[in-house]
Amino acid sequence: MIARRHVLAAGAAGSAALALAACGGDSGGSGSGGEVDGGGKTLTMWLMEGTNASADTYVEELKAAFTEATGATLDVQVQPWEGAHDKFVTAMAGGTGPDVAEVGTTWVPEFADAGGLDVLTEDIEAAGLTEGLVQGLVEAGTLDGEMYGMPWYAGVRSILGNREMLEEAGVNAQPQSWDELLTMITTLEEHNPDWISFPVPGASIFSATPFIWGAGGEIAEEADGTWTATVNSPEAVEGLTWYTDLALKHNSSTAAASTWVETEALAEFLQEKVPMFITGSWVPATIRADNPELAEKLVAFTIPAKDSPVAPSFLGGSLMCRFIETQEPELSFELIKLVTTGEFATRWAEETNYFPGTIEAMDEVVAAGDELTAVFAQQMTEGGKTVPVTPAWGKIEGAKTMSTLVGTILEGTSVQDAADTAAAEMDGFFSE
Amino acid sequence: MSPAPTVHETRQDGAEGLTRRTVPLGRRLRRAAAPWLLLAPGLIVLGVLLLWPMLRVLNLSLQDYELRNLLRGDTNYVGLDNYVQVLSDPFLWKTVLPNTVGFAVVCVVLTMIVGTVVALFLNSLGTLWRSLCTTAVMVAWAVPALTGTYIFVWLFDAQSGLVISTLDGLGIMEAGSYNWFTNRWTFYAIATINVVYHGFPFIAVTMLAGLMTVSTEQYEAAALDGASAWGRFWNVTVPTLRPIIAVCVILSTIWDFKVFVQIFLMPGGDGTTRSVMNLGVWSYTQSFAQGEYGMGSTIAVLLTVLLLIISVIYIRTLMKEEEL
Repeated sequence: MIARRHVLAAGAAGSAALALAACGGDSGGSGSGGEVDGGGKTLTMWLMEGTNASADTYVEELKAAFTEATGATLDVQVQPWEGAHDKFVTAMAGGTGPDVAEVGTTWVPEFADAGGLDVLTEDIEAAGLTEGLVQGLVEAGTLDGEMYGMPWYAGVRSILGNREMLEEAGVNAQPQSWDELLTMITTLEEHNPDWISFPVPGASIFSATPFIWGAGGEIAEEADGTWTATVNSPEAVEGLTWYTDLALKHNSSTAAASTWVETEALAEFLQEKVPMFITGSWVPATIRADNPELAEKLVAFTIPAKDSPVAPSFLGGSLMCRFIETQEPELSFELIKLVTTGEFATRWAEETNYFPGTIEAMDEVVAAGDELTAVFAQQMTEGGKTVPVTPAWGKIEGAKTMSTLVGTILEGTSVQDAADTAAAEMDGFFSE
Repeated sequence: MSPAPTVHETRQDGAEGLTRRTVPLGRRLRRAAAPWLLLAPGLIVLGVLLLWPMLRVLNLSLQDYELRNLLRGDTNYVGLDNYVQVLSDPFLWKTVLPNTVGFAVVCVVLTMIVGTVVALFLNSLGTLWRSLCTTAVMVAWAVPALTGTYIFVWLFDAQSGLVISTLDGLGIMEAGSYNWFTNRWTFYAIATINVVYHGFPFIAVTMLAGLMTVSTEQYEAAALDGASAWGRFWNVTVPTLRPIIAVCVILSTIWDFKVFVQIFLMPGGDGTTRSVMNLGVWSYTQSFAQGEYGMGSTIAVLLTVLLLIISVIYIRTLMKEEEL
């Protein structure tokens, strides 16, 4: 059994060598090979399902490249996002986790604090990778000054529009401020009241946060190691009011949207009932696959702040983390390097339409991308921002505090009251 | 293995008492063990699958147990703090408990009525039509709760669901003008339809099995005495079927109290719309979504206790002494 696996691994390595030779030129795992001898060892890696449509070939080639570089065998297990949080938790508790795993940015502080993830700061420094990482991802993976994850890929939300519908109404220019965005929306609404001119999806919190941040507000702030909710501050309330008024006063949305998540807004966009909406940088690729005709008509704008064209927008993505239980920390980091830098990082970004976690690879992707990519990249580099980096965020996410906040406002609660309730709930989590 | 007749000898001979006395002891043990041995497979399965988790939940409910404790394997007993916290939370009394109890009462009553009516209807059919209709009814039961819930969510979709499209077509309501899922009453109305639709086939089939055992002579006698159909139902059918009705009511109550999937999967039912939370969802969001395993267990224990009390009351009132 074991012997057979070795033969297979050797075969895979051989074909990988051929493949790499055939590609020639700028080979990927540059510099990472040969340092650690992993001969006869096996590493397990968890990847999240659905990010990359052609994950199978990617995984096969990654396995081959890893075996070639280190001699070790790589076992990749693809995990669905549904129930992933629970699966990570049980794996960490039972010591049945992988050596290396893709972990969503908002989960890293929680898992790190609980003691499931290993510190990577020294390894990243020793590999000379500290400079040149996408800052928003570094922040998301840093707890108490230590990095618990290596930035891998990220996405950001901006406004995606249907050029044909926008031009029909005569509004197709980047809004420079909230006022200009509002003019666009009201013009669309007057042009065709049947359109859902700018949906305000209640359960999609990252469509709302750019407006809290764009008014100068914050969800919560840290002082001397203690977090305090500031989502009920005048600035945050101003942003929330402006955003929800689009639905409540300017009729830009629909009652149905108060329980919508992003994909439901996308579904209406695909049916061309929505001229523009806030969505992620990975969505144009989905549309290209589902509806190539509509993909030709896509146009993107950065989400404006109150007085400037680029508001901070949530930068979400994944980090490559090393589980604390691993028997092979060095080999694991070799794998992390192989995935998050060089050829495999760029390739993952291209195949998934996310942005890579290193600035070098990011520039490469932007240079090769289209106008849409450039807009999303601008939103990310100028406005990429993460949620409060505290273990308590996991609980806030679990309790749906933010979507309850937006949802209750859309159902008629005053913004200040709803924000006060949300702030009290968050403070409860922070003080635990 | 050891020869059986040694029993008498041991009582006569004290010198070899030690070795000999073990024989009858072993035998007695073996005799006593026999029933336990036979029961063992069942008990072990019950113990592993039910008793151990129950004790574990009880143990967890006395701790402030979070992800950190889970990973480090340490304990953190806080006595009855969790219980005090849950029971003194106005959210429990104003939202969660009324939602859970009210919803269960309505669902049990409706499920029983619909199930019984369907059973009476099936009972009046000929063999062919009865099997056809029973099969059709069972299909509703065979649909997984998850699939069924999504279907009802789609039907009542505020923007383009069948219900709103029909109302829109009739000119009663405009599509997209009202979100059924954010209002506590309309939310639970939809959940009720879903749960009753899903629950009545079991009641119907069980009741039908009972109905078919009621002898026609009893009905004929009652009819001769001048009892109306209504009277025959209450004075012949119901008393005969009382044990079956009791079981159906208890099972439905337990199912409808702990309903989770049907609520959680509806828009806003995952805890976003706080006014529609029930005990099941509350327990889940506390323990899994927020990592407060201790608190989640406490809620689960309270739900179990509540169900036990209700079941005991039911059994006492619905069944006669000799049926117990």
